Amino acid sequence: MTDDEQPAVAGPVIDLEQLISMANQIGDFYAPYPPERAREGMRNHLRTNWDPRMRNALLEHIDTGGDGLDTRVIDAVQLLREKAADKSGYYGPPQA
Amino acid sequence: MPNPRKPEKETITICAYCGVGCGFKAETIGDEIVRMTPWKEGKANHGHSCVKGRFAYDYWCHPDRIKTPMIRDSIEEPWQEVSWDEAFAYAASELKRIQAKYGRSSVGGVSSSRCTNEEIFLTTKLVRAVFGNNNIDNCARICHSPTQFGLSATVGAGAASQHFDSILQADVIMVVGANPTEAHPVFGSMMKRRIRQGAKLIVIDPRRTETVDSPHCRADVHLALRPGTNVAILNSIAHVIVRENRHDEEFIKSRCEWQEFEHWAELVGSEEYSPDKIGPIADVDPEDIRRAARIYSTGPRSTIYYGLGVTEHSQGSTGVMCLGNLGLACGMFGREGVGVNPLRGQGNVQGGSCLGSWPHVFSGYRFVTDDATRKTFEAAWGVELDSEPGLRLPNMFDAALTGHFKGMYIMGEDPVQSDPNQTHVIAAFRKMECVILHDLFLNETSKYAHVFLPGSSSLEKDGTFTSAERRIGRVRQVVKPVAGYQDWEVTVKLMNAMGYDVQYAHAGEVLDELARLTPAYSGASFELIDRVGSVQWPVNEAAPEGTEVLHTEQFPRANGLGTFMLTAFVPTRERVSDQYPLLLTTGRILSQYNVGTQTRRTANSQWHPEDVLEMSLGDMQTRGLREGDRVTITSRFGSTQLKVVESVRVNPGVIYTTFHHAETKANVVTSDLSDWATNCPEYKVTAVDVTKVTSPERQRAESSVTRPAQQERETEEIAVAEEART
Repeated sequence: MTDDEQPAVAGPVIDLEQLISMANQIGDFYAPYPPERAREGMRNHLRTNWDPRMRNALLEHIDTGGDGLDTRVIDAVQLLREKAADKSGYYGPPQA
Repeated sequence: MPNPRKPEKETITICAYCGVGCGFKAETIGDEIVRMTPWKEGKANHGHSCVKGRFAYDYWCHPDRIKTPMIRDSIEEPWQEVSWDEAFAYAASELKRIQAKYGRSSVGGVSSSRCTNEEIFLTTKLVRAVFGNNNIDNCARICHSPTQFGLSATVGAGAASQHFDSILQADVIMVVGANPTEAHPVFGSMMKRRIRQGAKLIVIDPRRTETVDSPHCRADVHLALRPGTNVAILNSIAHVIVRENRHDEEFIKSRCEWQEFEHWAELVGSEEYSPDKIGPIADVDPEDIRRAARIYSTGPRSTIYYGLGVTEHSQGSTGVMCLGNLGLACGMFGREGVGVNPLRGQGNVQGGSCLGSWPHVFSGYRFVTDDATRKTFEAAWGVELDSEPGLRLPNMFDAALTGHFKGMYIMGEDPVQSDPNQTHVIAAFRKMECVILHDLFLNETSKYAHVFLPGSSSLEKDGTFTSAERRIGRVRQVVKPVAGYQDWEVTVKLMNAMGYDVQYAHAGEVLDELARLTPAYSGASFELIDRVGSVQWPVNEAAPEGTEVLHTEQFPRANGLGTFMLTAFVPTRERVSDQYPLLLTTGRILSQYNVGTQTRRTANSQWHPEDVLEMSLGDMQTRGLREGDRVTITSRFGSTQLKVVESVRVNPGVIYTTFHHAETKANVVTSDLSDWATNCPEYKVTAVDVTKVTSPERQRAESSVTRPAQQERETEEIAVAEEART
């Protein structure tokens, strides 16, 4: 979906509870990395793998408190807001 | 016995069952296939075959084949036969109506690993260039998507590093979560040959499979781990290697990112992963973990083969990374007899992966978010393409339930039967307004479809498959398409009906287009394959006849180095409890294939007429069960019934079944948990309970099962077909 297309249906594209669970699982994987790298690993993963509607639903949930999301996940998801910092996607260890 | 009739014609083609990709000669008299014989020049099979490729081909002319397109406005209505043109026009107008009403991203498509590279590539083009979004996925989502992710992360290429023959130079063979003697039999025979010559065998699998102990095949070490503990065990093996200084420092320093190795060695070398800690968690003797680590690292040529027992877990991608890490740490890449190799379940899983049938990457695993790559496709296809990743197959179902996803083109798949948590999938389909199913037969999913486009089997079309060893081979048309069109032609006509004008004279032109747009396939063409038989990618200017062994000088990553991923063990949330005290895991058997759409329609069914539940004697006794009792298996998600048999292959606490028959309904029971990175479902671990079916329940169950009658009919038809052939 491009920016000019407004979603024709209201509400999160996927049940929020499931998105929260998926995001926390990703957080669990990157947890062994130093915090800055872990955040970048999550950002890259969500940016290159998740439909923008899924990312936006997560961001909107964070705006209203982010219940159920691990703190480290909230910190990482926030990075998605900085569009200017968008890097091209990559596989492999997170690059801080 | 009458003499066999002399065939008039032989056509060289590829078996469409497992990922080995055996070459076959299809022998015909007129439009009748009279015999399939393994092709001696086939580079994967060298003249060998298994019981599926050799005998299970009659499905192509089974009376259940649908030959006329059908449509209906609602799934409550009966199907209405229509012309091809009417079917295309209806499908196109429905998709357009849905996109106008619910947005461009409200429709998508899924391709099948039973279809050719050309058909898969065209399906991606249909979704990206015509639907205008990236909601395109393929069935590898539910089997090997973690392979693409985990191997790309560590060694830069989501594919087998070796060719199959390379195993004949291995000193140590480690098989993880796979059962090649049943599921990849021709490769399994090659493995047995090497074992007879003295190669050591390590098997990591919850079940004492035929690979663990059968004629010509006996594991030196078998780690019969508890389902769900792969990552713990693989980290513990790494622990022993690092602590005992068994890693290959020279290889790591010259070929890998040393710093990432150090981080990894610190993680796996920690006390947390010592065999004494992990042994009790995984139900494995710590000494066996040490033995496995010592054998693998000693080599000198150690190779890893793995299957869905690694990938279909909530840590599936992590498990694949563990294997990449292990291979790199011990210098087991870049020469004959080593490597890390996924065993693919279907004929063209590798092709589906390579050709961009994913919502986040174009062919060649290049991100849709990458401007340069996207521009090359925009130039070739003449339209602007979506720069954002789309929905994955399970996300499409999730989004259908919230009303965001309304229409779907399904090429050769049966998601209702094959995808996890069947109740959820059916509810999602019920909310869609246009489901277009393109398949050989009506199946479980067709109950929820609005358009049925009759498909063509691999015996009826031209194209290529890419096998598990990266081998691109020719699928050649043996007989005319039963319903008039090859599958790729149907996809093109659907594109045309949607208003996108494109024509191809034959499938070879589609291969030419995908070769122009996919670096690893750039040298592939019908002409080349006709000349040399088959080629392994990368096939390009540097390697005009393909590449047998990958990573010989560098890894296909930006800096050319292999790398290590931190793979902490995170236990799955699917746990046993008082209510669900057993772990159910699943697998395949030699004579049948996956959900059985094809093999159940052949005489192969006589070898495996039904799926049964394997259980240890102790677990049967505590439940008062006897061999042959009908039991109910209940999980948090649903329940189903099967016949129980005593088995020494499973440990107490673990039960096992195959999933070849629709009435087994194995996926009514399986959970909706999935891999953290790819959403590949966690099929291999479901907490369940098993109870004996009481008499009134049993009567009900028996009266609702239709299979025996159908079985009889199929057997009769096969007998008739056999008679006609001889």
